[in-house]
Amino acid sequence: MSGSALLEIRGLSAGLQGRRSITQVVSGVNLDVHGGEILGVVGESGCGKSTLAAAIMRLLVLPQVLQSGTMTMRLEDGKTVELMELPDNELRHLRWRHLSYIPQGSMNSLNPVLRVERQMTDTLIQHGLSKKEALDRSIAALELVNLDTKVLQSYPHELSGGMRQRVIIASAVSMRPALIVADELTTALDVVTQRQILQELAAIRDELGATIILITHDMGVVAQIADRVAVMYAGKIAELGTVNDIFEDPQHPYARGLIGSIPRESGQRVEGLQGEAPSPWNYPTGCRFHPRCPEVFERCNQHTPTLQQRAMDRWVACHLYDAETEFDG
Amino acid sequence: MGDLLLVENLLQIFGGRERTYAVDNVSFSMPDEPTIISLVGESGSGKSTIARIILGLLRPTAGRVLYDGTDILTQDRGWNRKFRSEVQAVFQDPYSVYNPVYKAERVLKLVIRKFGLAKNKSEARALMHEALRAVDLRPEEVLGRHPHQLSGGQRQRLMLARVYLIRPKLIIADEPVSMIDAGMRASFLNILQDFRDAQGISTLFITHDLSTAMYLGGEIIVLYQGRIMERGQTRRVMNDPLHPYAQLLISSIPTPDPRKRWKEELSSNRLQEFDPNANPGRERCLFAERCPQVMDRCWDARPILRNPDDEDLHDRGREVACYLYQ
Repeated sequence: MSGSALLEIRGLSAGLQGRRSITQVVSGVNLDVHGGEILGVVGESGCGKSTLAAAIMRLLVLPQVLQSGTMTMRLEDGKTVELMELPDNELRHLRWRHLSYIPQGSMNSLNPVLRVERQMTDTLIQHGLSKKEALDRSIAALELVNLDTKVLQSYPHELSGGMRQRVIIASAVSMRPALIVADELTTALDVVTQRQILQELAAIRDELGATIILITHDMGVVAQIADRVAVMYAGKIAELGTVNDIFEDPQHPYARGLIGSIPRESGQRVEGLQGEAPSPWNYPTGCRFHPRCPEVFERCNQHTPTLQQRAMDRWVACHLYDAETEFDG
Repeated sequence: MGDLLLVENLLQIFGGRERTYAVDNVSFSMPDEPTIISLVGESGSGKSTIARIILGLLRPTAGRVLYDGTDILTQDRGWNRKFRSEVQAVFQDPYSVYNPVYKAERVLKLVIRKFGLAKNKSEARALMHEALRAVDLRPEEVLGRHPHQLSGGQRQRLMLARVYLIRPKLIIADEPVSMIDAGMRASFLNILQDFRDAQGISTLFITHDLSTAMYLGGEIIVLYQGRIMERGQTRRVMNDPLHPYAQLLISSIPTPDPRKRWKEELSSNRLQEFDPNANPGRERCLFAERCPQVMDRCWDARPILRNPDDEDLHDRGREVACYLYQ
C-alpha cells in the first residue's frame, strides 16, 4: 500500500471483553484511507463495521476493547501520529480538530433542555476557542449543511429528524477536521432528506477537502456517493476497491452475493444470500465465509485468506485468486 | 362487489386542540384475486395508521373498512374469528412478537394447536417442516432454538412460516424488511410473491422503502401527509411518476448503481422547512409549499384523486391528485 495515505490501519483487532477471554469482533484489518476520499464500509449487521469505526476513533467502551494494531494518521503539517499510542489527553485534543465521529443514532443524543447554540459552541470552547469564534464557526458550519442560523435558538424537539442530523454534522465539521467517520448517517431518515444530506456531505468533502469514512448497510448509499468501498464480513475486509469495480465486477464470492441480492427492477427475481452471518462467538476456521460460499474448496476451511492486491486499487481476501497472486509474486 | 378489502373515506384525526390528520380521506380496494399492493410514504404519511385501522387495532374518526363485504367493526363473534384467521399481520420488529422465554417454534405450535391442523405429534412435526421449507428455512437451524439465537431475517421468515400454516387470504405487512439485512430482503420478498402465485395470498405491503416496493411489483399507492397523491401499477408509477411529490420521492432513491448517480443538487428550501407554524390550512394541495411546479389554484382547493385528463396517461388504475393533469 502507498505511503501517502491519510490514515494507515495495520492489523487492527478489537473484541469484547468477557470474564475469561476476549471475543474478537474485528480481526486484523489492514486499510489505507486516502486523503479527500469518501470510503464506504459495508456489510451485514454484526460484521464489525461499527466496532471498526469506534476503534478508529479509539472510542471503544467496555466491554469493547482494542486488542492490537497500528493506526498512523498524517496531519496537515506533514507530521504523523500513531493513534494507538497517543495518551488520552492528546487524543482528546486531536478529536474534533483532526478527526470527527458521528456515531449511529447521534441525532437523538442532542440534549433536549439546551438550545442548539449552546450545544454547538460548548465543544468549540472546550477546544480553546473564544465565545465569539465558537459562534462564528458554528454559523459557518450550519451554512455548510444548508441550515438557517435560526436553529441556533431552537431546542432539539423543535427540529425535524433531518434538521437534527444536520446540526450533528455541522457540529462535527465545525473544527474543519481532516477525517470524518460517520456511522449509519442517514438510516433513520426518509429518502428525500437522505439524498439532501448525502449531497451536503459530498459538498463538505469538496469544500473542506475532508476525508470521510461512511459506515452503512445500504448498498444504494455507497453506490451514490462513495469513491471506494470496503466490504466487511465477519470482522474482516473481504474486498476493497473502487465503487465501480465493486458494483460491476465483485470478485469475492461474498461481495458477489451481496451485490447480487440487491432488489432492482420489478419482475427480475434475485435470490438472497444463503445461510446466516456467523456471530463473533463462533467464527468458522479458515475463511470465515466458507460455510456459505458457493465456490468453497478444500483449502478454505483450513487456511485463512489474507487481503491481497489483485490490481490497481483492488484487494481481495479469497483463495480463489491464490494461484494468480503466487504467479505474480 | 368482488373486493376482498375495501377502504372507504378513511379519516383519522389525533389530538385535541392541535389536530393532526394522520389519515385524510383515503379510499382504495384490494380485489378478490391475489394481488400485492404497496402503500408507500415517508414517516408521518399515515401508512402505519391505515394498517392499524384495517387490522381493527384503531377505530377511525370516520370512514369504514369492509372485508369481504362486511364492516370490520361488526360485533358478530363468528365473523370476527373468521376475519382474524383470514387476515394476518407481519410487523416491523421481528423480535418483539416472540416470547423470549419459549423456543421460537412455539409460534408455529400454537397455530397448529389453535386451529387443529394436526392430529398427532408426528403430523404436527411434518407440518412444521413443510412450513419452514416454504419460507427457505432449514428446520435444523430453527427448531429447538430461542428467539435470540436467530437472526432478524430468520425470525421474520418464521413469522411467514406461521402465516403459511394459517393460509390467510390477506397479509398486512408493516415495514417487514426494514430491520432485515440487505442480503435477506430479496428472499423475504420472493416468499410474498410465491404466496401470491402459489397459495393465492394477497399482501398489503407497507413501506418507506421504494426499492422494495419496486421489486415486489403489483400496484402502488403513494401517500403524503395522510393523503393519496398517486396510484397505479408499480412499474408504471416508478418509471414515469406523474405527481411532483412522487417524482421527488422516486428520484431520491439511492439507486445501487454507481453509474446512475443523482445528478443535480436537491435544494432544501431552508425557510419553509423551518417554519412549522406557517399553516395555511388543509383545503389545498398539501405538497404546494415544496412543489417546484406550484400554481395559484394549488392553494385554493384540494386536488381530487382521479384519472389524468391526458388520455395517453391512462394506464389501468392510474390516478393522480394534481392540477397539472386536471
